[in-house]
Amino acid sequence: MSTSTAVATEQYNYDIVKKFAIMALVWGVLGMTAGTYIASELAWPFLNFDIPEITFGRLRPVHTTLVIFGFGGSALFATSYYVVQRTCQTRLWGGPLAEFTFWGWQIGIGAGVVLYMLGYTQGREYAEFVWPLDLAIAVVWVSYALVYVMTLRNRSQPHIYVANWFYVAFILAVALLHIFNNLAVPVSLTSLESYSLFSGVQDAMTQWWYGHNAVGFFLTAAFLGMMYYFVPKQAGRPVYSYRLSIVHFWALSFLYMWAGTHHLHWTAIPDWTSTLAATFSILLLLPSWGGMINGIMTLSGAWDKLRTDPIMLFMITALSFYGMSTFEGPLMSLKSVNALSHYTDWTVGHVHSGALGWVAMITFGSFYHLIPRLWGAKEMYSSKLIYTHFWLATIGIVLYIASMWVAGIGQGLMLRAFDEYGNLAYTFIETVTFMHLPYVVRALGGMFFVAGVLLMVYNTYMTIVQAKRGVAVEATGAVALAR
Amino acid sequence: MTNPTNKSKQVETTGHVWDGDLREYNNPLPNWWLWAFYATIVFSIIYWVIYPAWPVGKSFTRGIATVTVEENGQTKEMPWNSRSQLIAEMQSSPAAVKQREYIEKVAAASYEEIFANPDMMAFARSMAKGYFGDYCAACHGQGGQGNLPFFPNLADDDWLWGGQVEQIQVSLQAGRKGNMPAFPNIQGQALDDLASYVLSLSGEAVDAAAAERGKQGYAMCMGCHGAEGKGNPMLGAANLTDKAWSVINIPAAGSIEEKKKLVAGVINKGIAREMPAFGNRLKPEEIKMLTVYVHELGGGK
Repeated sequence: MSTSTAVATEQYNYDIVKKFAIMALVWGVLGMTAGTYIASELAWPFLNFDIPEITFGRLRPVHTTLVIFGFGGSALFATSYYVVQRTCQTRLWGGPLAEFTFWGWQIGIGAGVVLYMLGYTQGREYAEFVWPLDLAIAVVWVSYALVYVMTLRNRSQPHIYVANWFYVAFILAVALLHIFNNLAVPVSLTSLESYSLFSGVQDAMTQWWYGHNAVGFFLTAAFLGMMYYFVPKQAGRPVYSYRLSIVHFWALSFLYMWAGTHHLHWTAIPDWTSTLAATFSILLLLPSWGGMINGIMTLSGAWDKLRTDPIMLFMITALSFYGMSTFEGPLMSLKSVNALSHYTDWTVGHVHSGALGWVAMITFGSFYHLIPRLWGAKEMYSSKLIYTHFWLATIGIVLYIASMWVAGIGQGLMLRAFDEYGNLAYTFIETVTFMHLPYVVRALGGMFFVAGVLLMVYNTYMTIVQAKRGVAVEATGAVALAR
Repeated sequence: MTNPTNKSKQVETTGHVWDGDLREYNNPLPNWWLWAFYATIVFSIIYWVIYPAWPVGKSFTRGIATVTVEENGQTKEMPWNSRSQLIAEMQSSPAAVKQREYIEKVAAASYEEIFANPDMMAFARSMAKGYFGDYCAACHGQGGQGNLPFFPNLADDDWLWGGQVEQIQVSLQAGRKGNMPAFPNIQGQALDDLASYVLSLSGEAVDAAAAERGKQGYAMCMGCHGAEGKGNPMLGAANLTDKAWSVINIPAAGSIEEKKKLVAGVINKGIAREMPAFGNRLKPEEIKMLTVYVHELGGGK
């Protein structure tokens, strides 16, 4: 770590990375707060206050958009721009174009969520942006691809590091997904409304081809890219297996595209599409685990770091949740299990074990590594706060997932229970009554998680302030900042 | 870090170095991982053989799984698909068989026979509870407690349209349109007096002189509510002499002035509410069991 960082600020474009990193935290706080609020609305409906803008239906896409695209997306932009520069040892290509990806992305997300609250949505899950924003985002995304690929081409290293394969797969796949899923006919050029180009079953299947691969390439492949850089860096050890990384990369990329239809089991889709989706989801299990093995085994021989390094704790916990949710996913995609889990909160719990446990935790770990280096600080302001953040986040996730298992599996079992006369034993409303307590616990879990992120924001702020003070001191010639 | 070799296995790195210290070991694929991956492939192939799986031309491979269903009294084998599985389950799953036996019994029985038979009553309660939850509870509440001003309480013994099973059955089958015409021209003193009289019918402590004056105005209400204000279940006209209110919440109102205001509002604005018909959505035996259930909710008289 000593040789390459001395001239880092001149050699690399860190400014763009800093901006994306800060926005990731901003959207993270807003998005997770929105999530906690709508979770509370489900537990205590009076929180709607009869204000349309803040009802569950409007705030839910605000929450998902802000955490996936605002927080996750900005974190991916930040880390991918950082990783591609450092592993290619070249400055980011296309200065103004990279700047454009920043402003385009942030304005797109900001405008999108304001429009959701005003009631303008495309009504496609995880793709609610209205059509003019879809067009703008497509332009931003193609610019991103161009910046990234041109930087790779300018590399001064003969080989392309594994993290970059995952980032490139993510960029290409998301471009495909975004464009095809959002093919639509606007009502008129002055209207924000549009109709999907597809109809019926084809529309549903396109939507879930998109939805599942947004999970696959946005929330999995891209964050594996993040993992492949920051875990070996933080552990100070080589990646466990180059061969495994190749095999699981191609298996993952090939298999994910087939699995989306498992979101539509037991609906009007043809049965054969259901079978294919279920089996390709099962086939996905081990390729997904390849990333977990490579991450966790990278640490083998340096397990003592878990006692001393809270950043490592975040990363290993993230990989464990990744392993757990990529086991749970194929399980839930089996038709018989899905008959129980579908339309219940088990699905919601599953998604959050991935989103909070994997995506957010690996991002937190990577950011705690990244932030001091970006601003030229030796380390984060407070290691204790990192530990506290870790425990708040972990407790929050466990409360969240456990309560959703109870709510989801409980509701699923209630809805299929028969009494001694062969009648359904419970009405729907009884299942809603049953779920109240799990909903309260879930909201509590969300509050824990948000509290942790707020600590992270404070820790980051103090790190930056101290770094700036340190640089000022250095400029007066008093102290040379040691790294 | 300076000598990044795995000592236990003596595995070399690939020799590539990025960003100062990023290296990769060239460990082989873990055996358990590889074999588990092969196992998922075998699992998938077996799954494809058994169930509908691959598109071929305009059709698809149907799989070797079959389902036994009954059609026109004959049993026959159908290829497995979600439709044939549904048919088979509705025909022969233990719950479906049991439920069907009971439904046939209840369908053939009269209300008197059902009331007299604890087993049939228990079944009707069990089945109707689900239907009440799905079709009725959204308006009338899970326990039939109603929701003023639109949805009458079903859990008291006060019936707008009559509480006999035959009357309840008609309410369910054909729905009900509750209409009271508006009297916007009654205003001022006359309105206050009439409201006082109406309230006096159920023993509210109103000004006696005002109520006495209001009696004259009540003449135009008699057609529906009757000379004594006892109501008329043929028209759905409410009984004004009991303390049950189905449109306005009199017991919850604080002062007598507030109560008069509520009554005056009904006189001026009238009532127009409708309960939808369920005869075209539910089968006759389902209506029958719901009737028994709703009848029992209201005390069973």
